[in-house]
Amino acid sequence: MDITAVAPATRTVPRGLVPAGFVLGGTLISLIGLTWDIQWHSDVGPDTFFTLPHLFLYAGSAFSGLASLVVVLMTTANAKRDKDVDPIVGGRAVGVFGRTFAAPVGYLISGTGAALFLVYGLWDQWWHGLYGFDAVIDSPPHIGLLLSISITMVGAVMVFAVARDQRWGTYGVIIAAAALLVFSMVTSLGLRAVPGALFNPVSVGTAFFSVMILFMAAHALSRRGGAFAVGVAVAVLQAVFWWFSPWAAEVYANAIGLPLRDYTDGIPGMPNMIPMCLVLVAVVVELLHKVPAWIPGAVGGAMIAVCAPLQRVLTYGGPFPINARYLTTIVLAAAFGALAAVLGRRFGHMLRHLAPAKENSHA
Amino acid sequence: MRKTLLGLLGTLALLLGVATPALAFEPVNVVHTEKVQAGPYDLTVGFSTWPVKAMQSLDFTFVPEDGIDGKKGTLTLLYGQEEMDDSPLARHPRKREVWGLDIYALPEPGTWTLKFDVDGPAGRASGELKNLQVMEQPGPPMGLSWAISTIPLFGLITFIVIAWRRTRTP
Repeated sequence: MDITAVAPATRTVPRGLVPAGFVLGGTLISLIGLTWDIQWHSDVGPDTFFTLPHLFLYAGSAFSGLASLVVVLMTTANAKRDKDVDPIVGGRAVGVFGRTFAAPVGYLISGTGAALFLVYGLWDQWWHGLYGFDAVIDSPPHIGLLLSISITMVGAVMVFAVARDQRWGTYGVIIAAAALLVFSMVTSLGLRAVPGALFNPVSVGTAFFSVMILFMAAHALSRRGGAFAVGVAVAVLQAVFWWFSPWAAEVYANAIGLPLRDYTDGIPGMPNMIPMCLVLVAVVVELLHKVPAWIPGAVGGAMIAVCAPLQRVLTYGGPFPINARYLTTIVLAAAFGALAAVLGRRFGHMLRHLAPAKENSHA
Repeated sequence: MRKTLLGLLGTLALLLGVATPALAFEPVNVVHTEKVQAGPYDLTVGFSTWPVKAMQSLDFTFVPEDGIDGKKGTLTLLYGQEEMDDSPLARHPRKREVWGLDIYALPEPGTWTLKFDVDGPAGRASGELKNLQVMEQPGPPMGLSWAISTIPLFGLITFIVIAWRRTRTP
């Protein structure tokens, strides 16, 4: 693995970038598959195991999983030969199954997520055999699959956070955190299983995950503008998917000779789950960086809950519901936003401990 | 690097090539029908599985005796007396000559009503399929299904707790 001694002088790819890029690329393929699949079900409908959006979902986890596996096997081989293991590739290696494998902790997480995806794929297949090929995004096995991909995405953030002192590490953390944030908006739909008579659990969950991931990335990068960069990256993903999702659903339907549903509204499903006010929340996080984290967290959480019905009115039309449930949701989103900020800050601190560089001595 | 990219493109092409012949969508098989009289319109309601069970998805078809041409309408789903859904009658995506709901599940066991408001050449009229009995959901209790499905979340939380303890600043 140590190529520096024999590599030609023109070689410029930094160590660790290639496998990290594969893991991140896999998560982005999963994200594309998810937004496409959601749009497919709302605009077109018919489903099989092998639709193209499904293949993107499978391929995304396969890419990330195989890249993680290769890194773990190479690290294990190096460890067995008593070669130095460079922690810039995914962080320090930890023993798995005793000392059978030596796995850099970032790749251990991303690979575990990919392996879980396979297991939950089987659980989902069994579920569909029993309940039919329902297109319900928030069925228990679907949430299991989404959580598995989320774990791979957490691993992607980790493998880039290790290299945060380098430019590719910084950009990687921003993109990986943005992908995780966007993906979490769909996973939050699992909260519809929580009774929602008094408040909107999905809005509260959306606020929680958004604030937590913004703070986590900002603190992992530990530089001004970190939260704002993630907010902008999310906005870019939202804008691209806003165009892509209905377009891809229609093009694919035309390609295989299926018509669009009657009364399709064409509103992009997944992109519309992302709070449009997130960039403003990120600006608040940046401006209030000197006060305790829970304050901008609470403000950000409340902003997301305040704006959620506004966004719905903007895209779908209909009345603006100012009632006790709405106000309760805002208060809870503020409380969970405060908690999310404190947690996110701590998670950022934990990500900094992954780095092999100067500032820490244990991980 | 070029070889790796070529390999990846080849894999993707193979995946797509294998996928294309597998894209055969299930036909809509009606195994049970009920009649609904909505004024001058005789509607046949078809079900692709019978009896209907909660959370188990199936194809519903709604067919006026002389077809859907020149007609439109609304379907309202009532659970007991509570209105659960209200949507225009749309053509079934896999059986375009009739109205329908594709792979749709009624979420709760109990008594459901399907209410049809039809507007056509013979004027506007309403009809209901009352007392549609939906049986208990099949499979394990939802609590168990959720417990199995959230194992990755609890695994992640466990990992975070361990990492938290190891990165505590003295």
